[in-house]
Amino acid sequence: MDFISKKDFRSLVEGLIKEYTLYGPIKKDGSPAFGRIDGFGQLKLSSTPSHISAKGFLFPPKETLLRFDIEKGSAEGVVTAEDQAIIGLNSCDVHAINLLDRVFAYGTPDANYLARRKKTLIIGTECLPDEYCFCDSIGTMTVEEGFDVFLHKLRGGFIARTGSKRGRSLIKKYASARKATKEEIAGLKGLAEKKKKLFKTTLDAEASSLPLIYAGADLSPVWDRIGAICYGCGSCNNVCPTCYCFDVKDDVTMDLKKAERVRVWDACTLEDFAKVSGGYNFRKTRADQLRHRFNRKFRYLADRFKGLFCVGCGRCSRTCLVRINIAEVTNEIVRESKKR
Amino acid sequence: MRSSANQKNAEAVSPYLPARGTVEKTVAVTEKERFFSIALETPMDHTPGQFVMVGLPGYGEAPISISSPPSDEPRIELCVRAAGNLTRALHRLNPGDTVWIRGPFGKGFPAREMEGKDIIFIAGGIGLAPMRSLIKTVIGRKKAFGSLTLLYGVKSPEELLFKDELGIWRENGMDVEITVDRPHPSWKGNVGVVTTLIGAREVDETKTVAVIVGPPVMYKYVILSLGNKKLKGTDIYLSLERRMRCGLGKCGHCQIQSVYACQEGPVFRLSDIRHLKEAI
Repeated sequence: MDFISKKDFRSLVEGLIKEYTLYGPIKKDGSPAFGRIDGFGQLKLSSTPSHISAKGFLFPPKETLLRFDIEKGSAEGVVTAEDQAIIGLNSCDVHAINLLDRVFAYGTPDANYLARRKKTLIIGTECLPDEYCFCDSIGTMTVEEGFDVFLHKLRGGFIARTGSKRGRSLIKKYASARKATKEEIAGLKGLAEKKKKLFKTTLDAEASSLPLIYAGADLSPVWDRIGAICYGCGSCNNVCPTCYCFDVKDDVTMDLKKAERVRVWDACTLEDFAKVSGGYNFRKTRADQLRHRFNRKFRYLADRFKGLFCVGCGRCSRTCLVRINIAEVTNEIVRESKKR
Repeated sequence: MRSSANQKNAEAVSPYLPARGTVEKTVAVTEKERFFSIALETPMDHTPGQFVMVGLPGYGEAPISISSPPSDEPRIELCVRAAGNLTRALHRLNPGDTVWIRGPFGKGFPAREMEGKDIIFIAGGIGLAPMRSLIKTVIGRKKAFGSLTLLYGVKSPEELLFKDELGIWRENGMDVEITVDRPHPSWKGNVGVVTTLIGAREVDETKTVAVIVGPPVMYKYVILSLGNKKLKGTDIYLSLERRMRCGLGKCGHCQIQSVYACQEGPVFRLSDIRHLKEAI
């Protein structure tokens, strides 16, 4: 672990701007959001999660998969990636990216995501929980892998943990870092202990028990209750750092000579997500759709990808127009499971 | 160091890039369904019950089951119902036109595991299209199997698919029974839903497997009828229809609880999915 001063942090950020397309937390309409950083002054490291996650830099809301020349009758695959760096990802966000890495590498690898991931530098930063965060209950409050550099704010600067060769050479190149002292490393541990006490939201069950608890909750009344108030707007899916479902469709030029096959984010809470062309919808009601989404976070994907797909960032609860809160719903299911 | 945006990465191969197919033959088989024979550049190494993503530029892609049996010929056959923009556009294609194909995807029917057994094929409507691949495979090696029965239900006589082939299958020793949902002036045969054909049949549950393909509403009732015949869940195979966008286990549309229809399916043993809410 290294200590870098505030001044060195600035030279690190400026180095990143020079070498990469840099994205990081900015203020947008008063809320923390990720955006393009062209100058050090734009970077507004936030102690709480951004409204929308940073997944879009790896898995864009819309991206071209194929280009067709209709006149020539040809098709070509499109895989684009540029050197980019994302700074200001919190521990939960890095965990989320680790999960997406597994998803897109699974089975037939997704070249589009993986090419972009390969060219992306991840610089994490320490955070503090707000009233929606519950990463401590999920086990994602700290992170050990998936980043190039992870920065912990300390008096006068940052403790930098490096997680890759790229990260180590970055620190070497731009920051006149010194080894962190024993006191500083001990201080870091003390901070983590203090942070644990700040959580207002916690889950009433061990994270590892959640898949089984959810497996018993298919018939819970909670689905009808939250289904009755859900607007089916899909915001929870959009802001979620681990939601990766997509639709594939074609865009055609006005002269009908060229077409692109694009993929766009989709959401399992939208009406037609599971509908087939004959008209049959396998998840007709909002209750069905929400049960599916919650189970995808806590149960359905856990076996295949070795991990819960909720990282405890609280974004879905924070954004929900009707205040469906993922931690409250989970705790209700936990309570029901204890009665069974 | 900064590379240009939209730079092409030569090493990465897009799994979304389809192969070119050329329509060789297209025949209207009913008012809504068309049969296609599509020439490919290389043979499709598929098993009966697998599907391909069929696409046209500007219209997108849709999952379509392969109707032809496995073969060394660079050719597949599809039976397509006009249901959306893409499938309607497919219906307008002529011989010589290009159609883009990705696949094959998913798990098909394990024909080898059915050897030595009596097979009851139960098809509803366009469900006969994917089933035809298996039926032709089985008839091609009919000595390896026990008795073969096809119970086929359609809404009305005009909706019967592969009419000529039904006769050929009969000639090959297959017991083919057909029923239509509602009485029709031109129809002298059975009337009623497909389960009515199951009720009266003798089934030796110790050496029979059933294969079901049809519309979503059909499964529940057919499974109940087969249960009455004491058929075990491990001896019942079905192909589940789902919305699919990628075929690669990623887009999320075909997910049934922890299962992806495009990866572990679309063909499942009943015993593997009967506990899954939303499966049937």
